[in-house]
Amino acid sequence: MIGSAAEIAREIAAGARSAADVLAECKALILAKDPDLNCFTAKTFEGAGREAAAIDAMYAVGKPLPPLAGVPFAVKNLFDVEGMVTLAGAKINAGNAPAAADATIVARMRRAGAILVGALNMEELAYGFLTENHHYGTTRNPHDRSRGAGGSSGGSAAAVGAGMLPITLGSDTSGSIRVPASLCGVFGLKPTYGRLSRSGTYPFVNSFDHVGPLANSVSGLALAYDAMQGPDRKDPACAQRAVEPVVASLSLPRGIRIGILGGWFHEWSDPAARRATQLAAAALGATEWTELKSAEVARAAAYIITGAEGGALHRPRLIEQYVDFGPSSRARLVAGSLIPATWVIQAQRVRRQAYMQAMELFDRFDLLIAAAAPAVAPRIGQETLVINGRSIPTKAGLGVLTQPISCIGLPVCTVPLWPGEGESAAERSLPVGVQLIGAPWREDLCLAAARTLEQAGIAEIRPPSP
Amino acid sequence: MMTDAHDNPLEAYVRAALALQGYTFDDAQIAEIVEQFARLEGIARTVFDWPLPFASEAAPVFRP
Repeated sequence: MIGSAAEIAREIAAGARSAADVLAECKALILAKDPDLNCFTAKTFEGAGREAAAIDAMYAVGKPLPPLAGVPFAVKNLFDVEGMVTLAGAKINAGNAPAAADATIVARMRRAGAILVGALNMEELAYGFLTENHHYGTTRNPHDRSRGAGGSSGGSAAAVGAGMLPITLGSDTSGSIRVPASLCGVFGLKPTYGRLSRSGTYPFVNSFDHVGPLANSVSGLALAYDAMQGPDRKDPACAQRAVEPVVASLSLPRGIRIGILGGWFHEWSDPAARRATQLAAAALGATEWTELKSAEVARAAAYIITGAEGGALHRPRLIEQYVDFGPSSRARLVAGSLIPATWVIQAQRVRRQAYMQAMELFDRFDLLIAAAAPAVAPRIGQETLVINGRSIPTKAGLGVLTQPISCIGLPVCTVPLWPGEGESAAERSLPVGVQLIGAPWREDLCLAAARTLEQAGIAEIRPPSP
Repeated sequence: MMTDAHDNPLEAYVRAALALQGYTFDDAQIAEIVEQFARLEGIARTVFDWPLPFASEAAPVFRP
C-alpha cells in the first residue's frame, strides 16, 4: 500500500526518496491492482513522469518544494484535465473535444506539486450511488471483489482503498464522495457548498454539486483541501472567501459539543452502521442524541431538485441520443425533465426551512455524527437493501443518510470505521463510514474530529483483501 | 396508445409533457418514463405535505 500524502511529501522534501521513485511505486501498484478493480478509465503516466522529473529537478537545485510535491493523485473523470476528454462516465461525451485546460482544483493540486496519474471511473453522469457503469464497467470494492465500490465517485474511493493512491478527487451532489468512501473504507471530505470551485467540472445539479478529496489519511485530506481552497469567479456558486488553512490545526478545541443524530439517521442505519456511529461517538465523548426533524423531507426535496435540474441539463441530448444513455439513467433523467415548476419551488422552500432547522441544532452543538451509509457495501447487482426490516432500492437507498446533509450544503468529513457487525464473516470484515458534520464553513472542526478518531485508532485504513 | 386523462392523469400528464418538450418515444419507453415519474410524484407528496409558513422563501436567492 502506498503511504500517506504527508509521508510521501516529507520523504521527498528530505531527499529520502525521489518523486520518480514514488511514481514508479504508484505505477506498479496501479498496474497490479487496477485490472481487477477497474478504477481507472485513463492513465497519464507519461505526463506524470515529466512532472515527477520537474519536482526532482527542483530538489536538486535546492528550490523549496510545494506542500504536495511528488504526491500522486487521480481524479474522477468528470474533472477537466487538459488534453483529455471529460467523460463524466457517459458514452455521450466520448466524442467531445479534449479539455483545453485543467479544472480549477486540478490546476491547484498540480500547482501544489501533486502529480496526476489518471482519471477514474464513476457512475454515469454522477446519477446514482453505485459505480456499475453500463459503458465503462463496474468498479469493484477493494475489500470484497464481489461487492461494489459505491458511487458516484467509485473509482476515486476504490483506488485509495486498494492502496494505489494517497489522494483522489471526487464530486458529491447527494453523497457521491461520502457513500463510496464509506463502502471502501477511506477518508472523504465534502466541504461546505461553495467552498471549492467547480469550474472545469462536468455539472449535474448546480444546486447541490460539491467537489472534494478522498484520502488514506486525515492529513492528506487537509493538505489537498488547503491546496484547493480559494475564490474563483468562474464558478458562480464559489464563495469569495480567503483561504482558511486547516493543516496546522487538526486538533479539537476543548469543550466541543457533539450531538449524535437520531430519528431518520438511526432508523436508516442497520446494526453495522449503528455500531460504527456508537464507536465514533464514544471515542469523541459524545453522549447526547438529537434530531434533524426535516431530514426525510430534505431528502425528498433533494430528490425533486436533482431530478429537475439533472433532467433539464440533459434534455437536448436525451431528445437526440436517448439510446446512448445508460439504461439505468435515461428514463429517470427524462422523467426529471418533466417535473413541474411548482414541485421544484416547493422543494427549494423546504430546503431553506431544513437549513434553518439545522442552524438551530448548531446553536447547541458544534458537530453532529451520523453513519454515512445505511449498511456495508452491497453485492454487485444487488437491487434492494433491507435496513431494519424495510426495503429500499440500492441505487438510491445508499444515499439515504447523506442526501439530507448535502441538500443544505453542510461540510462533512467521512471516516472509515470497522464495526465487525453482520450476518456473515464477509460482512463483518467490511467498513462503514461515519459522517462528522459541521456548521457551514467549519471544515476545520470536521477534520479535527476525524484526526482525533484516526489517532485513537478508531478510524483507520485497512489493507485491501488479497 | 393514448390514455384518458381521467383514467390515469399521471400517464396523461407524462405523455402531454413529453410532447411539449419535444420528445418522441415508443410505448415501451414511455412506460419506463411513466414509472420513473410516478416514483418522483410519490416523493413530491412528501414535499407538499410538509408544513411551511406562507411567506417562506426558496433556497436559491440570486445575488448579483
